Amino acid sequence: MSKQRKLPSHDRLRQQAALLPGYVIIIAWVIFTFILLGWVFCASLSTTQEIFQGQVGLFPSGLHFENYAKAWSSQNVSTIFANSLVYSLISCAALILICAPCAYVLSRFKFTGNMAIQNGFVAAMGVPVAMIVLPLFCVIAQMHLVDNGIRNRLVLIFLYIGINVPYTTIFLLTFFSNLSRSFEEAAAIDGCPPTKTFWQIMFPMAQPGIITVTIFNFINIWNEYFLSLIFANSDTMRPVAVGLFSMINSMKYTGDWSGMFAAVVIVFLPTFLLYIFLSEKIIAGITAGGVKG
Amino acid sequence: MKRNKGMIVAFLTPALIFFVATFVYPIIRTVMMSFFKIENVVDSIGKWQFTGLANYIKLLQTPIFHTALLNLLKIWLYGGIIVMTLALLFAVILTNGIKGKKFFRAVIYLPNIVSAVALAVMWQQFVFSNQFGLFKPFADMGGWAWLDPEHKFLSLLIAYCFGMVGYHMLIFLSGIERIGGEYYEASRIDGASRVAQFRYITLPLLKGVFKTNITMWSITSVGFFVWSQLFSTVTTDTTVITPMVYLYNQTFGSGNSVTERNAGLGAAIGIILAIFVVIVFWVCNRTLKDDELEF
Amino acid sequence: MKKILALALACVLVLGLFAGCGAKSDSAKVVYWSMWESTEPQGKAIAESVKAFTEKTGIQVDLQFKGRSGIRDGLLPALTANQVIDVFDEDIDRVNNDFKDYLLDLEELNKKYDYEKTAVAGLMDACRVAGNGTLKTIPYQPNVFAFFYNQKIFDEAGITAAPTTWDELLDACAKIKAVGYIPITCDDAYITCMIGYHLGRLVGEEGVRDIVNNNKWDDPAVAQFAADYAELASLGYFSPNVASNAWPAGQNTELAGGKVGMYLNGSWLPNEVKDTAGPDFQWGCFSYPAVDGGVNGPETCNYGAQVYAINKNSKVSDEAFQLIQFLTKGEADKKLSEYSVGIPADTTNTEWPALLSGVKPVMDSVSVRWSWAVGVESNVDITPAIKENTLKLCGGSITADEFIQNMKNAAG
Repeated sequence: MSKQRKLPSHDRLRQQAALLPGYVIIIAWVIFTFILLGWVFCASLSTTQEIFQGQVGLFPSGLHFENYAKAWSSQNVSTIFANSLVYSLISCAALILICAPCAYVLSRFKFTGNMAIQNGFVAAMGVPVAMIVLPLFCVIAQMHLVDNGIRNRLVLIFLYIGINVPYTTIFLLTFFSNLSRSFEEAAAIDGCPPTKTFWQIMFPMAQPGIITVTIFNFINIWNEYFLSLIFANSDTMRPVAVGLFSMINSMKYTGDWSGMFAAVVIVFLPTFLLYIFLSEKIIAGITAGGVKG
Repeated sequence: MKRNKGMIVAFLTPALIFFVATFVYPIIRTVMMSFFKIENVVDSIGKWQFTGLANYIKLLQTPIFHTALLNLLKIWLYGGIIVMTLALLFAVILTNGIKGKKFFRAVIYLPNIVSAVALAVMWQQFVFSNQFGLFKPFADMGGWAWLDPEHKFLSLLIAYCFGMVGYHMLIFLSGIERIGGEYYEASRIDGASRVAQFRYITLPLLKGVFKTNITMWSITSVGFFVWSQLFSTVTTDTTVITPMVYLYNQTFGSGNSVTERNAGLGAAIGIILAIFVVIVFWVCNRTLKDDELEF
Repeated sequence: MKKILALALACVLVLGLFAGCGAKSDSAKVVYWSMWESTEPQGKAIAESVKAFTEKTGIQVDLQFKGRSGIRDGLLPALTANQVIDVFDEDIDRVNNDFKDYLLDLEELNKKYDYEKTAVAGLMDACRVAGNGTLKTIPYQPNVFAFFYNQKIFDEAGITAAPTTWDELLDACAKIKAVGYIPITCDDAYITCMIGYHLGRLVGEEGVRDIVNNNKWDDPAVAQFAADYAELASLGYFSPNVASNAWPAGQNTELAGGKVGMYLNGSWLPNEVKDTAGPDFQWGCFSYPAVDGGVNGPETCNYGAQVYAINKNSKVSDEAFQLIQFLTKGEADKKLSEYSVGIPADTTNTEWPALLSGVKPVMDSVSVRWSWAVGVESNVDITPAIKENTLKLCGGSITADEFIQNMKNAAG
């Protein structure tokens, strides 16, 4: 990228002109996205009646900010956000520390059981969550691990990690498998132990994959519903997804559709800001780590 | 290699501990359950009634399960082609030096962050509405409605694919970004066109990312549930039923009625789906070998 | 690397701050897992009443709002794992079936507290039937499934009495159409109730269950249903959107929007659409009309309730029953009815919410109970086909014969 900026200006212009069809396609898609999501946003400021008469965006009766007030006061919004933030951040960090080495080894070395582990991971992802979560709950609840607050939280985090291990590992496989072996060979000649080689050389080189999977993990765990519903034993431990679903359901059952959209927007905005913030932070963090190493 | 043995063990152990603790018991249990008739998932083994292969045989003979499988295959194949094409196209456009890349990337991924419930309501009550829908003119030309039984599947597919493009685009992006500018730089100096660059540099180097994408697409397709439910309120629809919905109906009962349940049948469906995913993964590994490419 | 580690550490510290919130005391206390969301009107009413109960009796209550899916999917695993849950609630049929291994027999407590005196007799009977002859559940929030109509349109069309027979229904439809409104609409979510009711009128619920579970699609009742509905469709009595309405488009846009006369639904409907219908909307209600050659009439209806139950392993069953009694009687029941625009469960609460005034005569006149959709959804393998083909039949895209043929094909 940095090289392209040094091109002479007429060359740059020509380059941008060649990209015109690309601009057209992307911009068309973006406009379409804005229309759809804009509708959701406008619906959150309309009345339910306007939504079902096709008048979203016209605001014949003005802007209805009271929808937000209603949705906000209906849940303990700050608690569920704090919960989700803690659950997601810890789990995402742990997942990378646990899965990156595992993916590296699986993609790099031939040993008995390698393919068995990979297939096991893939099969585990194919099994429906309900089949995993409910039997686990019976076992864990009988061990009295969900009876008290801190233990319940630790169990939740453990499961968020456990349930995403196969996904994260399988995702990262490719990103390690076609890194050149010359790096490791060179490091070995320099006398660098393989573990150190991994953390300081290979790990930073897989960073696009690591960033991407962390974003996905973050969104996954942030939105995780079924596991949290079953395992979060009390209201104080609920994450955002369960809280949002509870808000959505109560609005739907009472026919307050504009309130439902307001609840959705309330939950969406911080998530989106967090997504933007985190994707920048993670990129910066990992780039810095790579340079230092 | 000997030096590596310790590292292999050390690197695998944490992941395997988590994996075993989370998955092994439920998976073994699910495999066993598929050979029994069980009223509820959490019933103790004492209440299970051994029926051998009866669950699998029943699935083979149930027309609605065939419909569900067919729907799944259509989502997987058609949806897969649409989503992969668009995702790759967008990823290539975004990495070609377009301005405002970060902004576009964020907007295209945006639908993944919005609650599916809200999106489904938006599609059904706004885009596909037969009274004031955004897409109503298309349907009017043909004299049909988007959400009638004949076209509900198409509507669902469009709504679902729209959301998934951003996710798979991010995966492609991470793959292309890793290739590094120098390849393109070199080929540009050699006078290669953009199309040629794509054909001879991007595509071959993306094999591994394709594998990831196809594996992930297969897994999410197999788990296709929420959107189907949102497009068929309360009672399941033939047009949008998927194996996962059928599994849920069998395991937890469907709609407002109390129906006969058999968690064993649900388990059998789970096993079939898991095997399907493994097969796709295996085929991908075979056909998209990326070991020979190192960069 | 260091940054990630630091981040993880920071998170563990934050986690530490959260510790202790969930610690529970161990004095005698009733644990109530509720099917409502804390944010719903029902949830709000119950939360307030539970507080009043504790103030009055001194009995502590641990109230957890689990929501419908929290109860449907989560209660049984929790009961199986011996979690302490004393009281729970859900739909009458679901509680009596799905949780049957954990229900305490309530006859004795019922006698001890003289509960039944002011309870709706029909519902108590229904609970006994559902509980295999004995009372295991206490009903509240009753509902009834019937035709709801726009009184203004009926007046304009000159319909003076609500239809009681199929012919009167056709007549009413003709009058409504004549003054420029659409007679009937439906949403995909409720379309099975229409076929369920019509078949139910012809052969009763047992007959309906027999047809769908044993695939008797050549039954004459099916032919008559198909012919009757094909006629409604061909006469233009259904909304042109009936096949493509995704819930809640039909009820919110068409019915509450004042374009359509009638809609077959539960008594929760006026509450669900009150924001779209506006304050001036006048509701009428009548039971699904009798059909020629049928075996029952408007006195037979799908009605039901939510029910409370006590865990048979509860150590505080007496206190738990007191809680249930408190919540389903007097002030608490009235509050629930007002907040949620629902039907009261205490017979001394004779004043119903204004929106439901039209429902009272219907509820008072029904004597025989049908379950949801008159059992037409009792076979999960065939329900999707019933839904699809009924939608097509109402939309006019298939004929009565094609309907029967499609159903036979779907049954395999």
